[in-house]
Amino acid sequence: MEKTQTGAKPASRDGDGPANAAPQRPGLPAMLLEIPGVVPALSFAGFVALWWAGAAWNGNSIQLPTPPEVFGALVSLARDGELFTNAGLSLSRLIVSMSIAVLIAVPLGFWMGLSETLRRYVDPTIELLRPISGIAWIPLALFIFGVGGVLPVFIMTYVAFFPLVMNTFAGVRGADPKLVAAARTMGVGRLRITARVVLPSALPTIMVGVRLALAGAWSAIIAAELIGAPTGLGFAIEWYRELLASPKVFAYVGVIAGVGYLADLALQWLQRRLTPWTVGGGLS
Amino acid sequence: MQAVENAKLRLKDVTKTFIAPRTLKPTVAVSDVTLDIMRGEFVCIVGPSGCGKSTVLNMIAGLEAPSDGTIFMDDRPISGPSAERGVMFQDYALFPWLTVQDNIGFGLRNGTPGHSLSAGEIKDRIEAHIDLVRLRGSEAKYPHQLSGGMRQRVALARLLANGPDVLLMDEPLGALDAQTRLILQSELLRIWGETSPTAQRKTAIFITHDIEEAVFLADRVVVMSRHPGRVRALLDIDLPRPRNEHVRTTQRFGELSEEIWQLIRDEALEAIA
Repeated sequence: MEKTQTGAKPASRDGDGPANAAPQRPGLPAMLLEIPGVVPALSFAGFVALWWAGAAWNGNSIQLPTPPEVFGALVSLARDGELFTNAGLSLSRLIVSMSIAVLIAVPLGFWMGLSETLRRYVDPTIELLRPISGIAWIPLALFIFGVGGVLPVFIMTYVAFFPLVMNTFAGVRGADPKLVAAARTMGVGRLRITARVVLPSALPTIMVGVRLALAGAWSAIIAAELIGAPTGLGFAIEWYRELLASPKVFAYVGVIAGVGYLADLALQWLQRRLTPWTVGGGLS
Repeated sequence: MQAVENAKLRLKDVTKTFIAPRTLKPTVAVSDVTLDIMRGEFVCIVGPSGCGKSTVLNMIAGLEAPSDGTIFMDDRPISGPSAERGVMFQDYALFPWLTVQDNIGFGLRNGTPGHSLSAGEIKDRIEAHIDLVRLRGSEAKYPHQLSGGMRQRVALARLLANGPDVLLMDEPLGALDAQTRLILQSELLRIWGETSPTAQRKTAIFITHDIEEAVFLADRVVVMSRHPGRVRALLDIDLPRPRNEHVRTTQRFGELSEEIWQLIRDEALEAIA
């Protein structure tokens, strides 16, 4: 406040603007954004620091273990190999359920995008089911499938279904009518237009749906395995909770975050491969 | 007036009525348009916005059906789109997921124009059209990596590669800067076949809101008026071909432009009021 008039004077005397509109040097936080990897590392470090402080203040390793304890548990679980067994099982369940969901939801959404009649018949049911969390079906699934590998697959397929069907539908509906018209004036038949114009038009939106579906399904797997499976990451969390082995519980939580993150990176890579025209520059 | 057997396209009492989406009232977009377009003729349609010129073009393309009246091509009524009538859209309508060469080859690979061609012949035709519009070196790029003028040339190459009898162009140069426009106007006349005998030229219908562009390009200018869209006047452009940049400075060029402007002026002022 004391330097409003005098302090900024040498910097900007060229215009008639107010004195405090002097060109600003970017601060250190903004400058660090330029270096790849630094800011995510700082963000994570900040989180770990808060956690550590909280754990130290709390002083109860069962309620909240410290970062070193969790890291130690992670290393021992990895050495033991059980971490990889459980992560592999959960990941394979994710892949199976995503595959089933894509095979059902993408054709259905595509067809709904093409046929207003079908959409009118199917849409009310979808809208009715969509707000119901996948977890809500666990009791029913327990009766039908019992405890085992099928239950989490069922729950995840259910969760993944909705973003896939909605995004596929939106992508088909959003296909540029000009492009369809252009293809028609080149003597291209209806089937070919669907395959060569509507499908690639919808593909970027479908890929967004795939990523949303994966995120949703991966969130649901824990609850599903917690209750309904004798193996997997969710089961391991529940197992070590009963043993009061909190560091191991937290280690598994960390694995869930890591696997989810890597799976999304893989999808982003796929996205770049399948829809290269959406990378670098606008969609015009 | 001219012998009917020379007409490539005949529009007979063509009317198009829309139901306005908001008011649900029927709106006459095009009313009683009767027009013969000769084989090898370059016709420009000018008129204030809202005069239905794009609707006329879409009906000739077969993308929309007239509510009343008929459009004939070679004395057969038009019932839908066909590769015989190629369209170049205002915003080019290039496929963003295809490279320049695949855009040019889209109709040849997927549509009727390529049915009698082998894969090798299609490849040769794509290559020839890349050269024709001077896009060598950019054939593997995607549309979003190109400038406006280059996109326009891709659209033109795609149109021509399909070998249509009739070229339908809806303000294709509208989005370009003034200098690029002038260059591409001359290029368009070259590609259309200005230097070849009339029999070898394609029939071209070109929509524009730029009067001087219409005078420079056309054999005949159709002036349309709005509310409802109808043909107000037909003007023969008796400037000699091939035309070069000098034609723009001639007295006759100015007279023709002035005449068209007088026909449009009142409505154009109304349209912006």
